[in-house]
Formats: sequence, C-alpha cells, structure tokens
Amino acid sequence: MSEVTTTTSYGVGIGWRPEIAGFVAGLPGLRFAEVVAESVHAHGDLPPGLPALLERGVTVVPHGVRLSLGGAEPVEAARLEHFAAVARRLNAPLVSEHIAFVRAGGVEAGHLLPLPRSHEAVDAVVANVKLVQSALDVPIALEPIAAVFDWPDDELDEAAFLTEILDRTGALLLLDVANVYANARNRGTDPLELLDRLPLDRVAYVHVAGGAEHDGIYHDTHTDAVPQPVLELITALCERHRPPALMLERDGDYPPAAALREELDAIAKAAGYPTVT
Amino acid sequence: MTAHPEVPGRLGNEANPAGVRDQNDTTPRPHERNGQFALRCGASSADWPPIQPGGRVESLAERQAGLVAALTAGARVPEGFDGRLVEIARVALLRKRAGEVAKQWPLLAASMRTEWMREFMDWAAARPTQGSLRDGWDLARDLAARGALPALAGEELATREATSHYDGHTAPRARRAPAVRRAAGTVVVQIAGIVRILRRA
Amino acid sequence: MQLAATGDTWGIPGPTFLLIYFGAALVIAIAALVHRRILFAGDRSARVDQLGPQQIAFLNGGEQLALYAALGGLRAAGAIASASDKTLCQSGPMPGGVTPLDTAVYNAAGRRIRAREVRADQWVSAALLQLRDGLEQAGLAIPRAKLRAARLWVLAGLALIALGLARLIDGVQNEKPVGILVVAMMAAIVLTLTLNTRTKIRTRAATKGLSAVRRSHEHLSPRQSPAYATYGAAGAAMGVALFGAASLYTMDPAFAEEAEIQRISAGGSGIGDGGSSSSCGGSSSSCGGGGGGGGCGGGGGCGG
Repeated sequence: MSEVTTTTSYGVGIGWRPEIAGFVAGLPGLRFAEVVAESVHAHGDLPPGLPALLERGVTVVPHGVRLSLGGAEPVEAARLEHFAAVARRLNAPLVSEHIAFVRAGGVEAGHLLPLPRSHEAVDAVVANVKLVQSALDVPIALEPIAAVFDWPDDELDEAAFLTEILDRTGALLLLDVANVYANARNRGTDPLELLDRLPLDRVAYVHVAGGAEHDGIYHDTHTDAVPQPVLELITALCERHRPPALMLERDGDYPPAAALREELDAIAKAAGYPTVT
Repeated sequence: MTAHPEVPGRLGNEANPAGVRDQNDTTPRPHERNGQFALRCGASSADWPPIQPGGRVESLAERQAGLVAALTAGARVPEGFDGRLVEIARVALLRKRAGEVAKQWPLLAASMRTEWMREFMDWAAARPTQGSLRDGWDLARDLAARGALPALAGEELATREATSHYDGHTAPRARRAPAVRRAAGTVVVQIAGIVRILRRA
Repeated sequence: MQLAATGDTWGIPGPTFLLIYFGAALVIAIAALVHRRILFAGDRSARVDQLGPQQIAFLNGGEQLALYAALGGLRAAGAIASASDKTLCQSGPMPGGVTPLDTAVYNAAGRRIRAREVRADQWVSAALLQLRDGLEQAGLAIPRAKLRAARLWVLAGLALIALGLARLIDGVQNEKPVGILVVAMMAAIVLTLTLNTRTKIRTRAATKGLSAVRRSHEHLSPRQSPAYATYGAAGAAMGVALFGAASLYTMDPAFAEEAEIQRISAGGSGIGDGGSSSSCGGSSSSCGGGGGGGGCGGGGGCGG
C-alpha cells in the first residue's frame, strides 16, 4: 500500500475533463491524471481522448463522487460494482472518494455534504470504506471536503476525525489543500495547524483548486483561479512532507490554455516539481 | 427559514411535497408526533442520550435526511445548525445545479440570458435534483406548458422529445420509432435517428 | 381498329429494345462512373492536416461553412459580435494572423450588415473565391470546370430518356405493352439526376484527409462541450470547420441565433442528435453529483 506513495513520484497532474481533453492531451510532461469515476462507463467506449492518454502511459486514477461513503446507509452495491469495474478498466494503482455523504432519505443532494464529526459518523464511514476496500484490489484514498457549515454536535475536531477514520480503515489520504484553506478561512483557524496534525506520510496525492468569496464565505468552487494562499500552503505542505503527486482540479469556466498552463507551472514551482507544460 | 435574497418574499411553493415551513409554524413534523416521552421508574436521565426537542433521538440517517431536505426541498433547517450558513450552502447548491443544467440544455439557458439563474432557482428551490438532464427537461416542459418557453429553447426541447422517450419519472431512453414533436412553435421530425426541423417558430 | 402484333414498334421487338436500352444505360453509367472517378480523384499527395480552419470548413461544407468558420474564429477572439437587429458589429480589435476572409468579414461587420447577407458582400465573396481557387489548385477541391465536364453525361442521360419517350409514345399508339419500358425510363431518369452533380465540393483525396483531421480533433466536437476559451479562436474555428454550424450554437448560442446561423448545414451533427441522451454523458467534475442513475454523476465545486 505505501509502495504507491513512496517509490513513484508523479509530479504535477490535472483532472481530466472532456471539455479540456485536447488541452490535457497536449501536456508533454504529464504522467498522472484523475477522472471522475461516474463519467466512465464500465463497459463500452471510454470517453474520447482518454484511451490516447492511457496509451501514452499516463496513470489515470478514478475519483468517485457519488458513492456517499459518509451516508448512514451502506454504499449501494451497483455503484460499488461500477466503481471497482472502472478501477480495473483504467488499470489504476489506486482510487479515491470523499469523506462526505451525497444522499439521504431517498433524496439526492447533488453535492458533497459534510458529516457530523461524531463517533457515530466515524463508524458509518469506516463501515462503508471497509465495504469498498473489500471490492477493490487497489488502495483507496479518502478526501476530506470543504464545508460551509458544521454540524451542531461535533465531538471531534477535523484532525482527530480524519485521523481516526484513516487509522481504522488503513486508507490513504487525498489531501485537498484548497479544502484545507477554505475550511480554515471560514472557521478562522490556522491551516498549518491542521497540516501538522494529519498523517502526511499517508498522503497519496493532493488536489489544488480555486475558489471565490461570496457573502463573507469562501467557496471552493473549482471554477476560479487558484489563489496565492493555496499555493503557499502547497509549499508549506511540501516542506513537511512532499506528496508524490499534486493535481489541478478545475470543473468549469475554463480559462485560455495559457492561463491553465501558468497555473500548472505555479503548482509545480510551489511543490518543487518539474513543470509538465 | 428566512427568505433568501434571490427570491424576495417567496417562502412557499405549492408544488413542494415536503412542505415549506414558516419560522413561526409550530405544527408538529412527522417524526415529532409521538411527542411525549416517559422516564421509567428507577432510571435517570443520564441513561439516555440528549433528546431533540420533539421527543425522540434521531439516528444519523434521519439527521442526514433532515439536512438534505432543508438544502434541497425547502424544509426547515434542523435544530442547531447555523441557519445563515445553511442558507448560503443552499443557494450555492442551486447555482451549481443551474450551471450543470445549462451544460445539458445550453439553448434553454442561453435563450433566457440573464433570467436563467433566477428562473431556474425559483423552479428548483423545492425540487431535489433528478440529474441535470432530467431537471432541464422537466423545467423546459413546464415552461412550454405555460407558453413561456423561448423559441430557441423550443427547438432543443422538441429535438430531445423526438429522439428520446422521457416519462418524467425514470431516466430518458432513446426512441427507436420515428416521431414528430413540437415545442414553442417548432416542429421536429425524427426518423431512424436523423433529425429534421420541419417548422421553426 | 387494328389487332395487336401487326408489327413491332420501329421494327424492333420489345424485349430486344429493352435489352438495348438497359445496356445503353449501363454503358453510360459505367463510363460516367469511370470518368468521374478520374475527374474527382484529386491530388493524393495534398495535405489536409496543414490547412487552416476555413479551408477545412470549405472542404467540409462549402462556402457557407467556410464563412461560419470565419465568424466562429472572429467571435471567439472577441472581434465581432451580433446585435439584436440581426446585424454584425465589431466588438474588438482585429486579431493577428488572420486570413483575407477574416479581414473581409471583419470589415463587413464594421458596416453593420446583416449576418445572413455577409456572403453577398463583394469582398467576402472575393475572399471565398480566392479560398476556393487555392484549394482547387491543390487538388483538394473539385474545379468547377471538372464538375461541368462530369455533368456532360447528363446529355447522354437526356438522350436516353428522349429515346425511351419516343418509343413509349409510338408503343402506346401501337397498343404495345409498355410497362417495363416505363420502369426502364424511370431508371434512366434516376441515372440522369444522379449524373447532374452540382454540389460535390471535395476530391477523394480531400475526403480521406478530412476524416483523419476530424479524428485527431475529436475534443472539439460539440458532444464534448469543448471549452472554447481554452482552445482559443483557432480551436473555435476548427470546431466549426469539422463539426458544422452546431459548433457555433454550442459555443455562443445567443450569437448563433442572432447571426441566423443555419444549423443543419453540412459536416457534423445537428443540434440535438440525441444530445447527451444517457444521464451518464456530459457533466463530469470532481465532487457532488447531479445524475440519478446508478454510477453516473458529476458536479463541480466541493464545499457546503
């Protein structure tokens, strides 16, 4: 399991999206990309552009968004089957999902929602993660999300909550520094404090994304440029423990190619990795 | 739940099954109806976990459901949450949904220009998502039924109606048989997958 | 009233005539086919992948699509815009590295002409002509002279129809059975109509090259919802060139509507060719989902 994190260093990667497939295809130094698991069919054609990337030898990691690991109900069997099938199809060395829930009471939230940081919630997440692990041949990395609000009865703080989940499941950590920044900014806490309390040696890879502030709240939108404080957080993270891979996560409102290249280069520079553009 | 700034004065929506509640509404919600509890003789209150007002401990599943209902169906914000922040999250969710539906229905969104966001958010405020394709479809059908669908969006809807079968409740399926469909003045014919616009509005 | 079979029409028995007739039709068809193959072959060494978007658009959909590619490129560069009175206007400076067609369209926009009348503008038509001449010389577009030469076979077809008609009239006057002759004449009419090619634009060499270019630019297909800002003006123009006017509607629906872009105009798909018909298609982003079915989803912006 830790072989993935220590021996292979992938450098800077990007979230593959069909909207920018041509741009991703044109990145000469790219060795790592991530794709939304639910946008890949288990059988039939892969999204156009993805096969060429795989043929090139780029490692593609499926990132689940709708398994709802944090839900009180067990992960749906059909979704889990699809997730595992996609992982095999892409020949991925690992998969990732979120510590969050996306549906409850038969209603889709359409978004990743935060969990109460309670022991009951930890139990629910751990149970689901173990279920998923039993269906996979590769390790899973868990991503904590950015939350605009907290639950009223939080028992643990974020670091303790995450660490307990990771310890009990043995899963890896997908550290989203934009989420760390957003949460710290909105709660008025110190992001470095959180970093110091997380098991950084368990970081499989890192997400980097942009956001914007509205009504005094910073939203991790993935449709804005990566702010300077997030880049600084990357440097701080790498000073403590450099992750094997970092990737730019952009979901919409794509800027001109030159701007995207600049962002990728900025991430590389902040992390001390070679540029891929 | 306070009226949010995007839609002044609108708290209720007659199409909302979950029931939008005014802050001062005290009629019991379904899980609160068996309200009275009783301590057994010889036991102390420390034997039980803290009880929500209304008299029963909610499981994680129920509490998650309550939060989702508040965010997507206009239900009341559960006890203890910061109402302002949940409202901000609710609006952010709607905006994100509007963007996703616009991707699936570009002509619908573009034909409404600056009104798109408001129109979608009004319509979707108490309707949890069924996926952006179905959301846009339902909205376009509603607008067409009211005669409020712009012509450009009508072409998009008519084309989709002609190429896929959608009953409003399950996922759309590709239509195999030929079909003629009309929406907002545009008539579209589909034969063996080839689409031709017969009449433009 | 004479009885039937007092003598074959023209002295040729019916079956024999039909044999000759079908034979002649076959000969004309084959000869025309061979002639056309030679005429329309084009230059096999000509490279399509080195052409600009407007030239590719021309090969894909003629002058109309070449014009649309220019409009798409200029629009994506922010140089032109549409006004509500369906005219074009200039909205920014002329971008660099443009073709004569771009310049002509930009200048026409400066004169606030209606989008659908741009093609009639004299400088625009001159630029389109120049574009076409270049492609004809390269052996990628069929020269008009060769198209006219191919249409000469229509005369042979017409002669055949006339012959059949004459036989038909005489045969009816002689009360001969003419059923099969009518069928033969209908075949001759179909043949003649087929030979009357007016709209063949590209040579065979160009067709092959075009398919290859389209495959290598799959990311620009409207089905992928390409990020036009990322791909730039050249990408936008190429998208229109390879995938048709539908690309303009994907890129900027308001502009496409005001400029009265005709959607079903050659090359690529119409607006809703099923669209993203399965709920798995289309949206993909890193967190939160919008889809309802098992294993489909996508949504952006993680965070509360």
